[in-house]
Amino acid sequence: MAKFIVKSLRDGCLEGDHAPSLAIIDSLHSPLGSHAFRYFLFSFVSLVQNESSQARGIVLVAFYRSPDYYIEGLRSIGFDASMLEKWVRILDCYSDPLGWKSKNSESEISKIITVLNNVKDVDGIFKSILDLTTGSGGDSKTRFAVAFDSVNNMLRHSSLRSVSSLLINLRSHERISCLFYLMHSDLHEPKFTASLEYISTMIATLENQNSDNNNILFMEQNYSKANFNARLKKRNGRVKLLCEEMCIEQNGVKFNPIITDINTVVTQTIIPKVQFNLQLSEKEKLDRANVVLPFEHQGKGENIQIYDGRKSLSDNQINVHNNNNKNTNNSEKGEIHYLRDSDDERPDSDEDPDDDLDI
Amino acid sequence: MGHSEKKNHFNQSQPKKAQNDSAFNHRNSVSFGELRNSSVMASTAGGQQPRPTRPSSFSRASPSSSPSSPIPSAPPGVKLGVNGAAYISSGIPDLDRILGGGFLIGSIVMVMEDSDAPHHLLLLRNFMSQGIVHGQSLLFAGPTREPRAFLGTLPAVLSKDKNVLRKNDLDPQDKEGLRIAWQYKKYFGEQNSPDSINRDSKQDYSSNFDLRKSLERHLINSPNIECINTQDLYDLLQLENQCSSFLSKLSRKNLEDKSNLNAGRIAIQSLSAPQCGYFEKDWEILSFIKSLKANLRSSNSVALITFPNSILSNSISKRWQHLADTLLSVRAIPDEDKDLAKLLTGYQDMLGFLHVHKVAQFNTQVPVILDASTYSIKLEKRKSLILEKLNQAPIDGSSGASYATAGSCSSSKGSALDF
Repeated sequence: MAKFIVKSLRDGCLEGDHAPSLAIIDSLHSPLGSHAFRYFLFSFVSLVQNESSQARGIVLVAFYRSPDYYIEGLRSIGFDASMLEKWVRILDCYSDPLGWKSKNSESEISKIITVLNNVKDVDGIFKSILDLTTGSGGDSKTRFAVAFDSVNNMLRHSSLRSVSSLLINLRSHERISCLFYLMHSDLHEPKFTASLEYISTMIATLENQNSDNNNILFMEQNYSKANFNARLKKRNGRVKLLCEEMCIEQNGVKFNPIITDINTVVTQTIIPKVQFNLQLSEKEKLDRANVVLPFEHQGKGENIQIYDGRKSLSDNQINVHNNNNKNTNNSEKGEIHYLRDSDDERPDSDEDPDDDLDI
Repeated sequence: MGHSEKKNHFNQSQPKKAQNDSAFNHRNSVSFGELRNSSVMASTAGGQQPRPTRPSSFSRASPSSSPSSPIPSAPPGVKLGVNGAAYISSGIPDLDRILGGGFLIGSIVMVMEDSDAPHHLLLLRNFMSQGIVHGQSLLFAGPTREPRAFLGTLPAVLSKDKNVLRKNDLDPQDKEGLRIAWQYKKYFGEQNSPDSINRDSKQDYSSNFDLRKSLERHLINSPNIECINTQDLYDLLQLENQCSSFLSKLSRKNLEDKSNLNAGRIAIQSLSAPQCGYFEKDWEILSFIKSLKANLRSSNSVALITFPNSILSNSISKRWQHLADTLLSVRAIPDEDKDLAKLLTGYQDMLGFLHVHKVAQFNTQVPVILDASTYSIKLEKRKSLILEKLNQAPIDGSSGASYATAGSCSSSKGSALDF
């Protein structure tokens, strides 16, 4: 299922649509967000290397960790510096975000890393990202992916409104293929997480497997495993819900499927007032049309036969006639002719209104 | 002798009596109608010729008679209702029916968005298209750099195929389909079936829109459409001014001036979206809504505002909801949810849910009570939007085939999880 998300990121921006954006949201109780972010970042770089993704490169905006950390990480997987230079650009907002270091200090000029001194200027970030995409060569048609390693740090320096508009402008920009970013939900008001979810097309939340947050016994488990719940917004307005278990291992992260019933949560939140369908289907309508109602066939010239719940008189007469034929042979024996009293009455009796029901 | 005198006396008096009676009855039958007709016949039985029966003064109300109103004729696209209320169409005929005629002129309609799905855009688009098609003025504010681009996504009117009427339209008038077994039916001639309501005028008021075709260019470029970009607004002053000037052109004060009767629509998309410049200023947004509502009351317009409810804090969100005259919300549905598929018929075709929280009522103390408040949003033939009541799927799976096409139906409460 995480593969599903990676696939969406790989496919990138569809024609006439905004770029897909993935928000990875974790919390204090399952703080594995940075591991998940690393996983997606490294998977994406290998996709770029294979040239199977729409994006030709990735711009990483590093707020939370030093760029060297990421470069080391990529090297340990197997990318060397020359390959990284082709595909990866890092906007360093970690080393000197507010411009405190003096300008005279030595800074090695790296092709990969660009230091940004003024993080408060969100428009500046936007411009720098775009510069990096243009700078790495390629015409206006090549697209890049952008990754933010921590939205929380961005929110420390600027307002929610400016960060939201930055993300939205990136999404709608023609040079951006996809976005993904990490956020810790505890560090800000719920409004901030809600806004981020509003903007994103894919939302991955990490939750601890045991809901008992205060129990120390489970704390260690929470640092190695978590439930990875993903909500993917599809174009037709439906939401795809996926759930997997994420395990932290020596060399990375592994996703295992879970066989749990997440749908119970969903149906409980939606309890519409449901009615029963009383409409008829076509077949039922035809059948209804074929039913002959009691008085409908009157006036058509047939004899009116009143159904009175007993054998019809004509039948009786035929039977009696047969009996009479038989009986003439046995005329010497005694016979009992029994005529019911109610046979004398006309069938249209006042007592029982159903007596004149004509079927 | 005495006998014949008596007879003569009797004979003389009777015609007089009859005359008096008939005169009396004649005067009274004007007011008493049918009841007196029979007594007229009875009293003239003595000798006079029976008067021809007067037609009763009760007459069947023809369905096409329009309610009397001070405004002699409503402008196109406006329907007059009871209590001096006037409606404009929402663009979705089913929604008009659910709300009892449409959106009340002078009211604010709010739609709470679901951050997972763009269904509020469907409502917004139909609303705007309906206004443009009727030639009503439109003011659109959206949180994008190019709000005009949104106009390009408006749907065109569905080309009407007169032979194909939606089956739901027929049901209330479909008395011919009800066969009654009555033993005296053969003695009476065929009664005329009640005239179906003149459909043409109804279709003009509320059209079906084809979501796959976009509205003609020349309609979009008409001069009475204004667009505002709310993303770059740092405060709502400009929006407020523009709304006020828009609404003052459509004031209700000049009823005699026929040219001023056209209605107007204000459509605001995602008023509380996080990227808008005024996003942090909750109280300013609330006072903007209040002033908009006040201006609307004295003008011939309706405002439709959508907002993402999840982003606002609880107390502010409640305030927004209370400010609305008509409150709707849209909800996304999860994909491939087996439980929901078992619970509801037609799950595969559903796009989402529409929930009606509040319906506006003016000049009356009687609230609107709906028999169902949640509807499913579906596309009919992938073109036009329909809203259907939710139907519970039959519990026995084998009979599911006969209930394959869900339709609207009468009420029966069913809790989703109780069987």
